[in-house]
Amino acid sequence: MRRSLIVTGACIAGIVFLTAPRGAPSMEQLFVAQTHAAAESENLCLMGGDDREARGQAQQGQNAAAAQAARLAGTVDTSSDLPPVRMVVDPYPSFNGVFVDTAGDRVMMSDTNRKSLLVYPRTAGSAAAKTPESPRQQIMGPATGIGFIAGVAIDSAHHELFAVNNDVEDRLVVFDDDARGNAKPKRLLYVPHQSWGIALDRRRDEIALSVQTPNMYVVFKRDAQKFDAPVRSVRGPHTGMADPHGIYIDDTHNEVFVANHGNYRPAELITSYTAYDARESRQERTGNAFSETARGSFVASSVTVYDADAKGDAAPRRTISGALSRIDWPMGVAVDEAHDELFVANNGDNSILVFPRTAAGNVQPTRVIRGGATGIKGPMGVAVAKDEIFVANFGDHTALVFSRLAAGNVAPKRIIRNAPAGKETSGFGNPYAVAYDSKRQEILVPN
Amino acid sequence: MIQGQSTHLSRTTHGIAYDATHDEIIAPNPLAAAVVIFRGGAAGEEAPVRTIQGARSGLSRPETVAVDETNDEIFVGDPGDRRVLVYRRDADGDARPLRTIQGDKTKLLQIVGIAVDPVRNLLVVSTYSRLAGGVTGLLIFRRTDSGNVEPQRVIAGPKTGITRLRQIGLDPATGRIFVAAINNEYLPPYDVDKPRAGLSPDLELPSPWNTGSEGFVGVWNDEGDDGDVPPHSIIKGRSTGIVHPAGVTFNAKDGEVIAPDAVWNGLFTFLKPELFR
Repeated sequence: MRRSLIVTGACIAGIVFLTAPRGAPSMEQLFVAQTHAAAESENLCLMGGDDREARGQAQQGQNAAAAQAARLAGTVDTSSDLPPVRMVVDPYPSFNGVFVDTAGDRVMMSDTNRKSLLVYPRTAGSAAAKTPESPRQQIMGPATGIGFIAGVAIDSAHHELFAVNNDVEDRLVVFDDDARGNAKPKRLLYVPHQSWGIALDRRRDEIALSVQTPNMYVVFKRDAQKFDAPVRSVRGPHTGMADPHGIYIDDTHNEVFVANHGNYRPAELITSYTAYDARESRQERTGNAFSETARGSFVASSVTVYDADAKGDAAPRRTISGALSRIDWPMGVAVDEAHDELFVANNGDNSILVFPRTAAGNVQPTRVIRGGATGIKGPMGVAVAKDEIFVANFGDHTALVFSRLAAGNVAPKRIIRNAPAGKETSGFGNPYAVAYDSKRQEILVPN
Repeated sequence: MIQGQSTHLSRTTHGIAYDATHDEIIAPNPLAAAVVIFRGGAAGEEAPVRTIQGARSGLSRPETVAVDETNDEIFVGDPGDRRVLVYRRDADGDARPLRTIQGDKTKLLQIVGIAVDPVRNLLVVSTYSRLAGGVTGLLIFRRTDSGNVEPQRVIAGPKTGITRLRQIGLDPATGRIFVAAINNEYLPPYDVDKPRAGLSPDLELPSPWNTGSEGFVGVWNDEGDDGDVPPHSIIKGRSTGIVHPAGVTFNAKDGEVIAPDAVWNGLFTFLKPELFR
């Protein structure tokens, strides 16, 4: 997830009591009930606006007072089914992947937070937008198979919507063009754990997925389903991939672009596992005869470029990396094939970097969109179409649209909001651990 | 927020610990086989003050960490090699572990949580597996155990209510173990060359929407509990808001138990002062 370490203070107030449906509610009902409750309850949602600090201080006091009062009065609920005294739940979507379909004149984004797919008109949003934009389609619910979702794509020729789950679900889901609501995917494909990006190869009628831990990308037939195997993969020490995320297939020039964060483990340290199980340890694979010299390492974040026909342990044609490049935790990548430019969602420093398509080595970007006026915050997805750049923010409840040649600290042409202006995001992406900083009274959440 | 390539964090971090004595944050990076340590007030793209990584360190997929502030040691659970590694608290670079617990007698499998009790000199590890004979529960070792040693006690079985678990926390003041019993279902591992070989094409694998039993936060005692015993206290149910809690910690001073939930993508705090008396 942008994955990072999030520190949250006690910034919400009061006793929260969720109203769940009577009887035996399904998870869907619970989810929807909680989402609506969070959205409608001003004293529930932590994702506030500019008054956070003052409110947080007040709430800390209230919480401490409530705790003390409960102790003194002996009114603490000692039963198991007790409501939380505080919760950090973001009731609004958080944009992640983005894809622009020019044929259908629409833009689709994945929503990691509320676990949905959102489709808007391509020209949605405005420069002064303060309220959420209504999507023309939203796919969400237990039948969808959408969970900790990341990359998205639209195949306009076959009228299909693609989305890949990065974690937990370990599956790619495909919907009909007009799917909405709690729609069952027309097909699903089980994919390697930690698949993140997706790219369509229209010439070969294939799809490619980047996969974090094994440092690889895998290629499936477009219509692959269930337990179908990849038709090929690119993996191995010569590939230069290290914790890959974004992926883009340039049909025009027959190349694959991959964004790498830089966390690297050699194959010898990689064992097959999922979010749920480690079936294999190194001992099982090698009978305790494994080398102890294998080690992990940190390499510089990069964008690597491959021949689209590559397979196996193929070296990249080109690599962009180094201090001059400013590449820092690159997430989505996109190529403007008509104008020969590469766009990188540079999550680490809240920017969009633009390079010549054929750039290689430690080179400066030709343009950088960055600064307070841009509104870029935790960019995850980037797409380029019709002389516009689309940016999916994870650190804010927005997607931003810039002119293709935008540079510097410039305001976006349009803002597509998924929450009222000023609402903060939780920043959570599938939180699996927590620690308490007793010195600062802060909760530490890695993502 | 701490993020960016200079932090040497990854987007996959399933453990974290805070050292109040030295005001430091410890986090594993499984993708780079490393443990990174930050100053407590770190922010932005700040580099760690120390990094444990390298061949001598023995790290292959560190998943979970704990710090023993009394004895100045860092404990790491590494399911990649199914072992626990113990380092000096100030270890840096390609440091050798002081001790390693590993081997068939240990019952260590998919290690997902670790906690240390310097008062009672105990080490608690949460582990799970579908392997035949594998333990899904808590393994309790002596704090200074090393090598292929049997755990002193094992807390596991149907009465525990645990079908799958994740992070654990331990309050040395009381010896209480807080357990995040996520309890969702398994997916079989993915072999890229033979995905889910042997499974029927008609099989529907579980998802978080269609999963196992309801998760909970359970509390056991590290000194007295042994075998198939139910939790002494539990946080579970519709009012709690949690469905599949993946982590747990506590604020003993204010009597609070804190748990993130992966389904809701949220963080929940419960008032349970009786657990800290």
